[in-house]
Amino acid sequence: MSFFRFPRRLLRLDWTLVLAMLALFIGGLCFIYSASYRAAELPVSNPLAQKQLRFGLIGLAAFLAMALLDYRRLRDLAWPLYLLGVLGLALVLVPGIGKKMYGAVRWISLAGMQVQPSELAKLATILVLARFLSNPGRDPAHFSYLALAFVIVLPPVLLILKEPDLSTASTLLGVTLIMLFAAGVPLRTFVILLCGGGLVIGALFALLFLKPDWVPHLGYVKERIIVFFDPGRDPLKTGWNAIQSALAVGSGGLWGKGYLQGTQDVLGYLPRTVSANDFIFPVIAEEVGFVGSSVLLSLYAVVLFAGVRAAAVAQDKMGRLLAAGLTGLVFCHVFVNIAMTIGLLPIMGIPLPLVSYGGTFVVGAMAALGLVQSVYVRRRL
Amino acid sequence: MSASSLLNDEVFRLRLLLAAMLLALGTLVARLYWMQVTNAALFQHNLSEQSIRRVYVPGQRGQIFARDGTLLAANQPSYNLVLYLEELRRPGRWQNTVTNVEAVVQQLARLLGQPPQLKRSDILAHVHRRLPLPLVAWRNLTPVARARIAERTLGWRGIAVEVEPSRVYPEGPLAAHVLGYVKRAEPELGEDDSFNYVEPELTGAAGIERRFDHALRGAPGEKIIAVDVSGYNYRYQLPGLADKLGHRDAVAGRDVLLSLDPRIQRLAENALDGLNGAAVVLDPNNGDVLALASQPRFDPNELTGFIPTETWQALSQNPDKPLRNRTISENYAPGSIFKPVVAMAALDLARASPNTSYNCPGHFMLGKARFNCWEKLAGHGTLNLHDALMYSCNVYFFNLGLHIGPEVIHDRALELGLGARSGIELDGEVPGLVPDDEWKRRERKAEGGWREGDTCNMSIGQGAVLVTPLQMANVAAVLANGGKVWQPHLVLGLRDAQGVWQRTPPKLTRVMAWNANHLRLVREAMCDVINAPTGTGKHAKIAGVLVAGKTGTAEHGSKGEGHKWTWMIAFAPYDAPRYAVAMLVEEGVSGGSTVAPLLQKMMQGIFHPDNAEGEG
Repeated sequence: MSFFRFPRRLLRLDWTLVLAMLALFIGGLCFIYSASYRAAELPVSNPLAQKQLRFGLIGLAAFLAMALLDYRRLRDLAWPLYLLGVLGLALVLVPGIGKKMYGAVRWISLAGMQVQPSELAKLATILVLARFLSNPGRDPAHFSYLALAFVIVLPPVLLILKEPDLSTASTLLGVTLIMLFAAGVPLRTFVILLCGGGLVIGALFALLFLKPDWVPHLGYVKERIIVFFDPGRDPLKTGWNAIQSALAVGSGGLWGKGYLQGTQDVLGYLPRTVSANDFIFPVIAEEVGFVGSSVLLSLYAVVLFAGVRAAAVAQDKMGRLLAAGLTGLVFCHVFVNIAMTIGLLPIMGIPLPLVSYGGTFVVGAMAALGLVQSVYVRRRL
Repeated sequence: MSASSLLNDEVFRLRLLLAAMLLALGTLVARLYWMQVTNAALFQHNLSEQSIRRVYVPGQRGQIFARDGTLLAANQPSYNLVLYLEELRRPGRWQNTVTNVEAVVQQLARLLGQPPQLKRSDILAHVHRRLPLPLVAWRNLTPVARARIAERTLGWRGIAVEVEPSRVYPEGPLAAHVLGYVKRAEPELGEDDSFNYVEPELTGAAGIERRFDHALRGAPGEKIIAVDVSGYNYRYQLPGLADKLGHRDAVAGRDVLLSLDPRIQRLAENALDGLNGAAVVLDPNNGDVLALASQPRFDPNELTGFIPTETWQALSQNPDKPLRNRTISENYAPGSIFKPVVAMAALDLARASPNTSYNCPGHFMLGKARFNCWEKLAGHGTLNLHDALMYSCNVYFFNLGLHIGPEVIHDRALELGLGARSGIELDGEVPGLVPDDEWKRRERKAEGGWREGDTCNMSIGQGAVLVTPLQMANVAAVLANGGKVWQPHLVLGLRDAQGVWQRTPPKLTRVMAWNANHLRLVREAMCDVINAPTGTGKHAKIAGVLVAGKTGTAEHGSKGEGHKWTWMIAFAPYDAPRYAVAMLVEEGVSGGSTVAPLLQKMMQGIFHPDNAEGEG
């Protein structure tokens, strides 16, 4: 019997989502190739694109594994995974284990590979939140419901902030809000929560600008915020990436300059250290223009739609919250990443899901969508 | 609230969530539309500002032809060894790259067996000022050097041999002073020019090359190059970039057609070979300059391209001034070749007639001052105007000059084009000088005003009178053609874009109101100067053609030092002149003994090319 359940479950996958995911990944692969393509070299070997392809295959395996895995079994694994994630985040901060890149400690070496523990921590936190918020014994209107949710989220958020990685930390907070909303926290409570959060953020910024000594490791945040409002202030240093990515995007025009013909990346104006990962969107937008960028965003819209649909048809509340949280995670990344390259948000180190170069992130994103599928294939019929 | 309504509520919340997320993506799309559609042109402009450079591409320089089609200045490919800094760059400070380039230059110097033409400061300047352009390390590579580079630098990165047009003068030193030469200089740009980089371009430095530089140069084009974030050239095709910006092709410069007759030019230069002198041959019928020869001369090929310092110093510091165009840029006292001017002035004023006679005892006393005739012992005895011209008697002309007064001599001389630049199409012309009272009061304050002694000196072409050989050739032309003063005409025309010569017509500046009988008298006297057995210029006589002329020997410098400028003016054939000549030799003995044989040699070559001697 169990032998036959295997393909039947597979048939119930949401193929719209699978196709959109594959399209995004393959498209991303093409532009990673473009971003690391140099006419000077023979175009046969392109290490970044090849590596990314390998990551993608691992990611697909993770996707299928997660889709076939019954998410309800994860209920028992949620806490151990959460602890593992927090432990990883803590390890990053231990000198000698954490690896420093681009001014932040976000990586640890695992079996010869650079892994970002924050990826696992994000997924595990969402899992724990889904389990906690779907506990039938808890009343969404009760204060403890909210308070305990934040108690769960706070340790990974603080550890990530310490790296420092404000953007990932705030993404996690954003996902928490989305899950609380989906979990049915009364609207009034939710609005109060939003206002409170706004106040906290305002206070944090005030602290950043008035008492920078108190939060020394977040100095770069202050710099980026200043540059966001006035990119011409320091165009050759801190304002550089914002200016150059906007130039790449804007100069793409309606149809773009053509595949492999973007110049911002080839000529090095988009720094090559970031053009394949955090700044892959300017590379795409320059080469395929507004039309191509719109297609890309449409594919993400399909993913988001499929994710929310999975939440809507989930068999139980945990499934619903899990799907909503993971979809929210994808959304936060997409929005923040693109918004920062087109001058709507300050520059943050957030990659574009499924498209940016980066092993942990590709596997993580595919695994997350796999979990969404795990909810979907077990939907109410 | 029932369970189902709660469920419904949750689905509603999810829909709300989805709507919010899609709205956020919509915001992104709106922003993208604003950037990529509404304002795309602005971003594209800013992008090209930072990564596009416009490079000045010179037009092909026009060529210079002689009247018979002989190519006098042409273009030929020159092979340069260039370095591509983008391939020789070193990370870190600029000095690292400069040091590496310097090392490559040293390696190449050993390979070529030639000392480097570049210093470290040159490399540094190139890095600062035109980093994306190739750096020329050696110009004018010999075929041997090229072969050696091709064989021995396989696999070296960043070096190449590039072809660049260079100037060549196929006739060598012939007419060097007319043609001038070119140097490589950065062109001056107009305010509207938007070039980011300008490479040194062949630029006329003297002669026609300089005067007609604008026409010869044509219009520059522009080349679009992409520079990377460090400012290096990105040498690979970026069709997405350059195509949309358009580039402009250079327009070739215009060819110049000179009036020079290379055969006569060569005869004139050869006649003066080894001397310091000048010779001008004009066509008296239209002012065409057939020859404009100055010796010593130089080979403009040696001044084009990379000039070793020694070559330049040897030329510029040579006391014989080989770079000086003696036909127009040097003032000389004319001496007796000025006498026909005085004679015509006197006759026209009706203060003298063909029979006006004076006695020459060999000297002339003005008060207590003694003015010698060149025949100072015996004197010429009593002679008329014809004989006075033929024998070039100074005493006669002292008397004549005092009789008619200096003003008329001054005025007639000016009408004949003396004392003013002729307007020939060359730079560096000097005006000469025909003095008068006003000039003397202005320039020689200590001596007071004009004196009779000044009139005596002016009457024989001495004193302050100064001329150029070109001016005197033009005087000879006016005597030859019966009174028409043409502006010397060196450039016959320019070739337009369709390849048609656009000719500039000759310019008649004045017609002298000369009485035909008076003119005949002076011309006959000039004919006898050469053709009578006793004429001062008898050594200039040639068989078969009547040449008329006048000798001159002008003293200059302090008296007694014996510095002389020796002259002849001439025209031929006597009856229907086709050539008007002035020839000058510095530090000769006399016009008759020094210049006449040289003039004879040149005229012989012009009229009897088959049995002329020494034609190159």
